[in-house]
Amino acid sequence: MRYLRLYLYFLRFSFSRSMEFRFDFFFRIFMDSVYYAVNLGFYGVLFSKVPTIGGWNFDQAVIFVAGYLLLDAIDMTVFSNNMWQLPSLINRGDLDYYLVRPVSTLYFVSLRDFAANSFVNLLMTIGILAWAIARYPGELGPASIAAFAVLLLAGCFLHYVLHITFLLSAFWLHAAAGVQQLFYVIREFSERPHQIYKGWLRQVLVTVLPVALFASIPAHALFDGLDLALALHVVAVAIGAWLLLVFVWSRGLRAYVSASS
Amino acid sequence: MNPPATPAMISAHRLSKEFTVHKKEPGLRGSLRALFRRRYIVKEAVKAASFEVNEGELVGLVGANGAGKTTLVKMLAGVIHPTSGAASVLGYCPWERDNRLRRKMALIMGQKASLWWDLPAADCFLLLREIYQIPRPRFEATIEMLTEMLEVREQLKIQIRRLSLGERMKMELVAALLHEPRVVFLDEPTIGLDLTAQRAIREFLLRYLREHRPAMLLTSHYMEDIEKLCERIIILREGEIVYDGPLARVVATYAPYKVVTAHLDGAQGAWSAESAAAALGGLGEVAEAAPGVVRLHVPRAEVARSAAAVLRELPVVDVTIEEPEIGAIIERIMRERGGAER
Repeated sequence: MRYLRLYLYFLRFSFSRSMEFRFDFFFRIFMDSVYYAVNLGFYGVLFSKVPTIGGWNFDQAVIFVAGYLLLDAIDMTVFSNNMWQLPSLINRGDLDYYLVRPVSTLYFVSLRDFAANSFVNLLMTIGILAWAIARYPGELGPASIAAFAVLLLAGCFLHYVLHITFLLSAFWLHAAAGVQQLFYVIREFSERPHQIYKGWLRQVLVTVLPVALFASIPAHALFDGLDLALALHVVAVAIGAWLLLVFVWSRGLRAYVSASS
Repeated sequence: MNPPATPAMISAHRLSKEFTVHKKEPGLRGSLRALFRRRYIVKEAVKAASFEVNEGELVGLVGANGAGKTTLVKMLAGVIHPTSGAASVLGYCPWERDNRLRRKMALIMGQKASLWWDLPAADCFLLLREIYQIPRPRFEATIEMLTEMLEVREQLKIQIRRLSLGERMKMELVAALLHEPRVVFLDEPTIGLDLTAQRAIREFLLRYLREHRPAMLLTSHYMEDIEKLCERIIILREGEIVYDGPLARVVATYAPYKVVTAHLDGAQGAWSAESAAAALGGLGEVAEAAPGVVRLHVPRAEVARSAAAVLRELPVVDVTIEEPEIGAIIERIMRERGGAER
């Protein structure tokens, strides 16, 4: 409850701050709209040449794309500002004040800055996903849609955990730009249906670097049903990733030198 | 001195911190070489520091740049881990960051901002109320008291970035003390402030200490802060504690002399700096010899004889006998074995 109340403060502060910067507010809406159009257009072009990709037809691919656009919007709104600032907090010693407060420092540095100027984009992507599901010609039951939503939220969580774990390398490397870039390269695998990857690469993408679980596996569960094995797999990967993050975070704090004042 | 009745609020036992730093040759060639082969050196920032701070005590931590003051404070505040040694703050190990300790502790750094830049202080304080779970009546009473003491009540609703440096620092102090901490670490709280703001903050800290009796550890580059606030000081030199005791004892220990200043009558004879120094050198160390003024450092036991000799030998219009300036003595102690910048 206390953490929820804290988050309400973060929201309140973020909204009042972002209203001050009108240009940035509207610019983000414009930029992200272009990004959404490019992604949907890309699959439109592909499907004009081939009937299916990884076993999915155009209508299924649209739902998958809408899924990862929503995931991206959630990340941009809830986590991205915090993630961008994290390496600099570590390198410039600005983590000091967060470490002396009687709340989880990881919670604070992950969530304190809600990107209110991306909130409109978040609403837009919810709209795109709702449209994609509504226009789907096949049968999608409420249970499947609920499973899809839960798995998509798990995908958001995994995205955050993976991203921040990469960034925490700043505790040792003192420069996280390269690692950040590496994360974005790996993340690109999540923007294609996981069925197109074969062999060991596919195994890696559903376990060690579980980017397939961001949006592709949720879409798979929506079309083909969620079985117990898949549900357990997602839970196990999420718990494993979280434990790894907690471990890296605690080792990182031991290595934290803080910049001299 | 009798041992304190209650255990120390802050205690450090052989606390040490080493940093491994990469040594790079200057220029592009040095950068290229460092890309493939790096040389690391181990720097001992703090060496086996042991001391205690009790309730109601404000201890000054003094040292040149790079002497290890901030590193020591950050270890005790739980921000960084030590390489070796132990510490206890209110009975907790600080770097384990137990919330029960963090609720009773505050860290104030003059060079770093804790408040949100784009928000008014009043909003930042609301967030802190939630973080420290301060009951609303107590929160409101504390805000009123602190903002009144620091005279920043009118600025509560102004964005932090629109405040002056002094007002911002005062707001930082309010923010740090809202939860009425029992232990307060102050790292250069008056740095960069004008004299009026420095004085206001010093008076506030003294009043706060008197009324709440926390244990406080203060680092400052301003000797005036140390002189006005601290009865006890710890002097750090290259990471090592070289003095821990009453401020007043520093004078007796490190300056076994008094300062005899003679103001000379310029009209009587041609007393130059050189001639005065030549005539009085035997009475003590000539610290300053300028036209019209001669200043001598005279051994304490010799003060009366030397003052009499000065009055006899020189056309004196005024003579003063003073204790040496504490700030100057401390600075000399800090410099004695260098004080390399870090």
